[in-house]
Amino acid sequence: MARGEAMELRRTSELAGSRVGQGIMVKVGRAFLYLILLGGAFVALMPFLWMLSASLMTFGETAVRKWIPATPQFGNYLEAWEEARFARYFLNSVVISGVTLLGQLFTSILAGYAFARISFRGRSLIFGIMLSTLMIQGMVTMIPTFLVVSNRIPFLPLPGGSWLNTLQGITVPYMASVFSIFLLRQFFAQIPFEFWDAARIDGAGHNLFLVRIVIPMSRPAIFTVTIFAFISAWNDFLWPLLVTTTERWRPLMVGLWRFSDEAGPRMHLLMAGSVITILPILVLYFLTQKQYTEGITLTGLKG
Amino acid sequence: MAAVSTKVTDARADSPARNWTRMREHLVGYLYVLPASVLIFCFGLFPVGYAFYMSMRRWRVVDRGYVGITNYARALGDPWGVLQFAAGFLGLLGAYFLWTRLGHSRRPQANLARAASLLLTLGCLVLIPLGWRTMLDAGDERFLSSIPITFYFAFGSIPLQLVIALGLAYVLYQKIVGQEVFRMIFFLPYITPVIATALVFRNIFSPREISVANRFIGALGLEPARWLFENKRLLNLVLGTELEGFLAGPSLALVSIILFGIWTYVGYNTVIFLAGLGSIDRVLYEAAEIDGADRWRQLRFITVPLLSPVTFYLSIIGFIGTFKAFNHIFVMMEPSAQNTVVTTSVNVFNTFNKGNQFGYASAQAVLLLCIILYLTFVQSKVLGERVFYG
Repeated sequence: MARGEAMELRRTSELAGSRVGQGIMVKVGRAFLYLILLGGAFVALMPFLWMLSASLMTFGETAVRKWIPATPQFGNYLEAWEEARFARYFLNSVVISGVTLLGQLFTSILAGYAFARISFRGRSLIFGIMLSTLMIQGMVTMIPTFLVVSNRIPFLPLPGGSWLNTLQGITVPYMASVFSIFLLRQFFAQIPFEFWDAARIDGAGHNLFLVRIVIPMSRPAIFTVTIFAFISAWNDFLWPLLVTTTERWRPLMVGLWRFSDEAGPRMHLLMAGSVITILPILVLYFLTQKQYTEGITLTGLKG
Repeated sequence: MAAVSTKVTDARADSPARNWTRMREHLVGYLYVLPASVLIFCFGLFPVGYAFYMSMRRWRVVDRGYVGITNYARALGDPWGVLQFAAGFLGLLGAYFLWTRLGHSRRPQANLARAASLLLTLGCLVLIPLGWRTMLDAGDERFLSSIPITFYFAFGSIPLQLVIALGLAYVLYQKIVGQEVFRMIFFLPYITPVIATALVFRNIFSPREISVANRFIGALGLEPARWLFENKRLLNLVLGTELEGFLAGPSLALVSIILFGIWTYVGYNTVIFLAGLGSIDRVLYEAAEIDGADRWRQLRFITVPLLSPVTFYLSIIGFIGTFKAFNHIFVMMEPSAQNTVVTTSVNVFNTFNKGNQFGYASAQAVLLLCIILYLTFVQSKVLGERVFYG
């Protein structure tokens, strides 16, 4: 009510004070705001447009840095695809991202549920330890993790020997994410306890309750975790660079990086390759951007 | 709710059957967290401890035994210098605490303490460069010079990034038509793979006269620059000076990488700021308007203070992010400017992957971790005290 009145008050005061000069000032001000935004959008988009444009040029056109190709050379994409052996890498990336994602969903739905809905001894201690690892990650863990994955730590033997150049070597270290666990825990904790009581009366245990009630009710949160996990697995570079020395499981990012050496000055092929690697991410982002940005703000403001 | 319901079952838990149900509840809990716990232990927690262990050993691909602090001494050089350097930073922190504790007290002892705090600050500002010189004489030059580079990278990126993002978010919040479209566009650089965008930016910042960056500064009437290939310091290039050492600032190559980093992360910061703006109650603005506060005062006395938790969060994760940043630098690195762009995390990678010195690289990584922890602590003390939580 008070808000409505205040708005009314403002409107009347604006009307009362609206001289011609002020009206123009307001319009100029608004135009200025749009100018800032358009400038920002141009800077954000320009590299993408440049990438797209260069990917359709001939070699000669890229050499003299034309802005736009005379006739679009769609053949560049085919050439880059074959020369960089993208067919294999693309498939690898799809499998790697998919497997990482499934693993992460499995571990974090279970853990998120347990932290939110089951009371067991040491629950907050375990959760606290998990959260503390968020502070540390980075270079410190890289070298020992590499030794774990190459099966060179005697008291942590891996099933099947060294995991270098294997699918599990790339994916398993990323199959648990504190971030996903945290996000799902927050969401699961909001489900009213009446549902659990009703399920208990019907004789359901935690397994059935989780599968039948909690997961279907938490689709938005699970969807957000899914997109996050897929995009970060797809974009990952340093870890796959370390653990893939052969082509067998090399993902697209490492493939593109190596191709940038091989392609040398042939910018048109390199840019065509870049477009190919970012296309799946862009499509996914455009389809899901609302959920994605909501997820980002949720974790950003509460993390 | 959960706590209440378990307490009730606890109270009635005398029969063996009830005891069993409670046991089973615990057991199910452990089973559910088991997969995640095992993975996080193996790939997140255990490696930290093992990195400490490795850092004390001579370890070149294979373990050759315990060597104590040799690796640390090799990185940092003279222990006396390290002591001076560390004491300088701890002293600065102490002087800061002394100063802020005093508040607005006007007693004579307070003025004495203020003088002591100033003196301590001055002493530390002398001690730090002295210690640094001594360290440089005997320490690993590559590792040591990577530390100021990391500082340039962090302090060059984050303040600028936050200011641009706050500005964009503030403008976007003014009932803009197409707000969602703008937000989506600003966010694009953040989600696209760094390797692909870096290839574009390597071209934009290429030393050729017709590169985008050179055309841009050409339009401003400036001579073409060598950008990513330029190891000369930006200040020296612009002002024609011959500065050296820490005060000379980042090289043009590093500045190019910083610009690329800002381009990547501004959108993320904007989206978070925008959400923060949305959570400020509009009634406050209306009240301020009735009290006669203009736009600028509303921004200064309502928006900025109420956004401070968000700014604090973004600056903390920004610092941690820049200190462990790898891809941006690794992909943009050109041989001719290499000695001016390799940050500590990239140096750890090089020592490990190219030099095959696992133990020594671990020691460097542990030192980097200590620096990050110190900085996060300082930030949460110094900035955290200024955060206004509603």
